[in-house]
This record gives sequence, C-alpha cells and structure tokens, in this order.
Amino acid sequence: MRIPGKGLVFPLAVLLLWELAARSGYFTSTSLSYPSAILFAGWGLLVDGAMWKATRETFGAALGGMAIGAFFGMIVGIAFGLSRLLASLMRLSTESLRPVPSVALIPLALLIYGYGYRMEIVVVAFACFWPVMIVTEGAVRGIEPRLMEVARALKFPLVARVTKIILPAALPRVFVGLRLAASISLVVAVTVEITTNPIGLGYGLIVAQEGDRADRVFAFLIWIGFLGWLLNALLLRAQRRWFGKFGNWSEAAR
Amino acid sequence: MTLRGPMLWGGSVIVLLLLIGLWQLGSNAGVIPQAFFPGPDRTFETLSDQFWSEEFWLAFSETIRRMFFGFVLASVLGVALGAALGSSPTLREYLEPTLELIRPLPASAVIPVFVLMLGLNERMVLAVIAFGSIWPALLGTVHGFKTVEPRLYEVSRILRLSRLEMIWKIALPNSLPDIFSGLRLALTVSLILAVVTEMLSGAEGLGHNIILAARSFRSADLFAGIVVLGAIGYVTNAVLERVERHVLRWRNS
Amino acid sequence: MTAAIVKMPLGHATATADAILAVDDLSYVVGGGARELLILQNISLAVKRREFVSIVGASGCGKTTLLRLMAGLLQPTRGSVRFNGTIVTEPDRQLAVVFQDYGRALLPWRNVADNVSLALEARRVPRAERGAIIDRLLAKVGLADRREAFPLQLSGGMQQRLQIARCLAQEPQILLMDEPFGALDAMTRQNLQDEVARLSAESGTTVIFVTHDLEEAIYLGDRVISMESRPGRISEVVEIDLPRPRHQLRTREDARFLAYRHRLFDLLPTTGH
Repeated sequence: MRIPGKGLVFPLAVLLLWELAARSGYFTSTSLSYPSAILFAGWGLLVDGAMWKATRETFGAALGGMAIGAFFGMIVGIAFGLSRLLASLMRLSTESLRPVPSVALIPLALLIYGYGYRMEIVVVAFACFWPVMIVTEGAVRGIEPRLMEVARALKFPLVARVTKIILPAALPRVFVGLRLAASISLVVAVTVEITTNPIGLGYGLIVAQEGDRADRVFAFLIWIGFLGWLLNALLLRAQRRWFGKFGNWSEAAR
Repeated sequence: MTLRGPMLWGGSVIVLLLLIGLWQLGSNAGVIPQAFFPGPDRTFETLSDQFWSEEFWLAFSETIRRMFFGFVLASVLGVALGAALGSSPTLREYLEPTLELIRPLPASAVIPVFVLMLGLNERMVLAVIAFGSIWPALLGTVHGFKTVEPRLYEVSRILRLSRLEMIWKIALPNSLPDIFSGLRLALTVSLILAVVTEMLSGAEGLGHNIILAARSFRSADLFAGIVVLGAIGYVTNAVLERVERHVLRWRNS
Repeated sequence: MTAAIVKMPLGHATATADAILAVDDLSYVVGGGARELLILQNISLAVKRREFVSIVGASGCGKTTLLRLMAGLLQPTRGSVRFNGTIVTEPDRQLAVVFQDYGRALLPWRNVADNVSLALEARRVPRAERGAIIDRLLAKVGLADRREAFPLQLSGGMQQRLQIARCLAQEPQILLMDEPFGALDAMTRQNLQDEVARLSAESGTTVIFVTHDLEEAIYLGDRVISMESRPGRISEVVEIDLPRPRHQLRTREDARFLAYRHRLFDLLPTTGH
C-alpha cells in the first residue's frame, strides 16, 4: 500500500502536536503518554522478547482457531453449495446459531476449558466458521455448471469431485473469505485475551493498562494494528499472485 | 413451485426441532455433560424464570440501552463525517491513508486506552461502543460517496445545485446501499462491544451476567444468556434489514 | 476517403449577431508534453435562436467533446464558447444536456415525477406549483401514466423520455443532446426523433443534436454540421431545406433528402455510418 506524501501530513502533524503538548507540560495528565515514550516502550518490549512471546501466543490461538473454523466452514459450505435441499433444510438451524456474537461464547468456553489456548481456539473457530461457510457456499453455487457436468460425466466419486474440480474452481472466491476469516481470527483472539484469557497480546494490553503504563498500552495497540494490516496485506499479495492471473476465472468462464 | 417454499421452510423447522430433540436426548443420557451444556429443558426453564425476573430485565435493558446509544450516536456521526469527508476530494486525499490505518484495528483493543482515559465506568463503556461503531458507518459512507455515478455529478453541476443540495439529494441517496452495509457492521460491533465492556467493567448487563454465571458454574444461566444475546443479534439485524429493504425498494425493479 | 475541406466563409457560420451560442476558433487538447493529443482544432460555429443544429461525424471525431465544451462541462484550451454573448466557464441550467447513457443520468431512487422535480427544485420553483408543471411535462413526453414508476422499471425509450422531460423542466434556452437515441432500437429511435422535433418546435428551444447517424442528422436538423476526425474539425456545413413538420417516410424519400445524404456521405469515412 503506497502512502502518498499528502496522506502522511495529517498523522505526522497529530503525532508532532501530541509529542509537543506532552513535553511542554501543558497537559499535566500523564495518562496518555506520548509518541517518543511509546516508541521507546515498544522497542523495549520487542527487545526483551515480551512482544514476540505475546505475538506467538495470539497468533497460535488465532491460526489454530481459524484452521478449525475454516475447515468446517468449507466442508459445510461445499455441502450446502452442492445440495440446495440440504441448505434449505438447515437454513433455520444455521440462522439461529449465526446471530450469536462470538464474544457471548467466551464464558462458555471458559467454563468448559478453563484458561489457556483451547478456549480461545474454540471461540475463534466459531467466529471464523460463518464467513468461510457463507463464502464457500456462494462460491460452490457459482461454479460454472459445465464443470460440474464434466465431473459427473467422468464418474468421479464425491471426494474426488470435491478435491479435483469443486475446490479448485471455488478457490478464488473462497480465498477472499479466508482473508476475511484471518482478520476476524486476529480480532477475536485479541478480544478473548482482553476479556478473560491471560495469554497473548490482549493480555499484554490489560496488564499494561492495569499497571497504568499508557506507553505500553499504546505500544501494544499499534503493534496489533500493524499485525492486522500486515496479515491482510500479505494475504492480498498472495491472492493477487495466485489468482490474479485468472482473477475470478470461474466467473470469467461464463 | 409455490408449494416448495413453505414446504422447505416447514422442513427446516422440523430439522431444527430434531436437533433440539437430539440435544435433549444427549443431555438426558449424560452424553452431553450437564455441567457445561444444560439440556433444552433446563435452558427453557431458566429463560422463563428470567422472563419474570426484574433483575434480568434490568440487565437486558442496560445492555440494549448501551448498544443503541453507541450505535445510533455513532451511526449519525459516522454518516455525517463520512459525507463531509466523501464529498471533498482534498480532504479525502489527506485523511484516507489515516483511515486505512485505523480500519484494521480491533475495536476491543482500544478498550484499555479508554479505560486509562476514563476509568472503568459507564462513560468508558459508551465511549468505547461509540468509537467502535463509528468507523464502519463512516467508512461505508465514504465509500458510497466515492462511487457516486459521475454522470450524476455532471447533472448536478448543470442544474447548479448547491454543495449541500448535491450531498443531500444525490450523493447521500446514492450511497445508501454502502451506508447500510456499514450500519449493519456497526450494529454487530456495538453489540459485541457492549458485551465485552460489560464483562470488563462489571457494569450491570447481560455481558456481566454471563461471565458471572460461568465463574459460578451456573451453566443454565449461561446458556440462557447466550440465547438471549443471540436473539438480540437476530432481531436487531432483522429490523435493520427490513428498514434497508424499504428504503432501497427502488432497487428491486 | 475524405473530401476536401470545404471552408465556409467566415460570415456564414459565425454570424454572431443573433447567435445564441457561438464557438470561436476553439481548440481542445488533452494530455501533456509528449502525450499531447489534439482533439478539436479551430472549431468555429454559430447557432441561431430556435435553430435545430445537427452535428454529425464518425465515432471518435470529437463531437461529444465539442458538445461538452458547449455545455461548459469542459474548458477549451484555446478559443471560446459564448452563450448569449457571455463566455461559458461552467455549466448552466439554461444549457440542458441530454446524455446518451440515460440510465446513469437519472436518479434511480426517485420515481418519474420526482426525477422531473429535481430540475424544478434546482430552479427554486415553489412546491405548490411543481405538480402542475410535472404533469404538463410528463404528458408532453408521454409518461403521464408512469408517474409513480421508478426508472429501473421503465424501458430504455421511456427512461430517455424521462431525461428529456427533466431537461425541459429546466426551461433551458438550449437543449444539448449527445447521441441521445444511440442506445435504443430503431423503432423507439424514430418515435423519439419525431417527439424531439415536435417538442422543440412547440417550445421554441434551440437544439444542438450530436449523432453519428447521418440520416438522423439530416432528418432532424435545420442545419447539419459535419465533422471529420483526427483532429476534430468542421468539414462542411449544410443548410437543410426540407419542409416541416418532417415525416419519417415522406421526408426520407424526398429527393432533396437523398441529395443531402449523398453530399454528406462522401465526407464521412466509409465506415462511419
């Protein structure tokens, strides 16, 4: 993402004013720290490994949850995409579960698994399941009907049909859903850590806040934002590289 | 094919009832541990108890109040700011990169900042909800304004519409689909943040109720709370979609 | 196959005395430096009040650009456009534009009546008076029975008529039409041609009509200005002396009509019809 010169003016001006205001002692409250202190604190956290450890923990839970959620989401999405009947029959049940906010499941996961990775992975999996399922269902429905006929004509058994034809054909659109799920996984993981789970970046935030360390709070916040941006940017790059050549080729074919 | 629709809907009702029935059987047989997952019977019983409980309705209304305050306030502000931003290419040039930096930020991650600023109180809760909900509305509006049909801008220039008229009569209506997209997201975010802040601040509310229930091993209360939150999510979303369908009814021709 | 450029004596095309719109030695360039492209070169013409002027040329000759310059949507690189003597620097309600892509020039969220109303609102016509004006205009363009419909529910021809009604609601002195019937089928096109001819005759509005269809240009115009491409220049101006009101069959079979067609056909590239 190219940030043009003009785009930097505003944030830089804000940072500058903030720094000057804090240093000049005009605003006596220390509760919000200032850019140079935040930078310093962030650097400290990176150097002493605390930031990396927390990042590993958060990413571990996020990735684990996303893998599970996306896996089941794709399976169910493919099933619903192939069988409209199944989708219609299950519609009411899925629509009853979907509106439950993933955060509402945090206490349940806590009850069952106690603190640690497992409860976080479960909540993340629930959150990631839905977007992947919906996108996969749509992608499978949108597959060029000719391809499906070819698959049937070649007498592929179901599993082969899925792996050789359906999945590759649906992959471009599914990948967009996976990108979304990746962002969600990070957000939900951090949320779980902020509310209850004493691991990872979210926990780092809470500890810093309870210790009244505003510089660390902002350092963690900026780091989390950076990770989110990085994750999305990398996945976007991958998407463009793998699917950019054909783009949505399943739609170009029709 | 007029019979098919209702038949399928009926079929899905049956499927749902079957699943609930299986849940009940599993619970009775002990296959599903009652300590974690109360059966449908206990959940229903708890729900009806709550229906008559004044405490429950207090918590319920608190959560709803926060959610709506944040959502409504943030939406109006977000749309207004988005309109101002969206209608000025110069402002956009300067501010869009900053917006793109804020966009991926998890709304819950800013909670500690607000706690530091405002403390663990109601003001913090409302500020967090508003802050989290404002961005989807704002970004949706900006995107809508960016994609206004250029031909319509020309028409407004020819008709010599004032800037305000152009925004109100052309850009805003044209952006409504994108704005509603943003509003739906803002609604989801406001519910999530209401629950999260309640869990953290211990303020009276459904979020606080369920975390308390988990810590006290009251699984039926916990489940009932999850059901209620799911219902809130469903109803609010359905209402918003209804409104959206009505406002955008010109699209379905 | 291009004909020799027929240079009109300055007095003929540019008599500015009672010209409602005068284009004076206008040139238009896009791009910069090495990628500079000359779109229009030394265009001069004058449109008289109540005149129906057709501008015809092959696709890409710059006629749409010329129209947009006349409307004030673009600014000339050299030369000027004058409306009633004043230089045109920006668009104006008096210079109504009927676009070819009618769907994109209408407000899809407003119904037929409210789309027309937009022009009245812009003119600050009091609310109480708007209804009658809308009714009158819709009746004129034949959309009276579709008052409550939304643009997406209308056919292409009806949408274009709606745009015309909205433009008429501006009470413009000049109606600039940019290939307005290009996206419509032949029969609708013929109907709308006659409607436009009738409307302009009734209201006395000056019309500048851009098209790539030679027969349409001759059929509708009092004068046909033929353009050639690369860069866009006026190649010939032909006065059309055909009786009004025009008739789709009789006029098109008139010997003079065919003569005009021949004369102008030779000026257009062979693929330019």
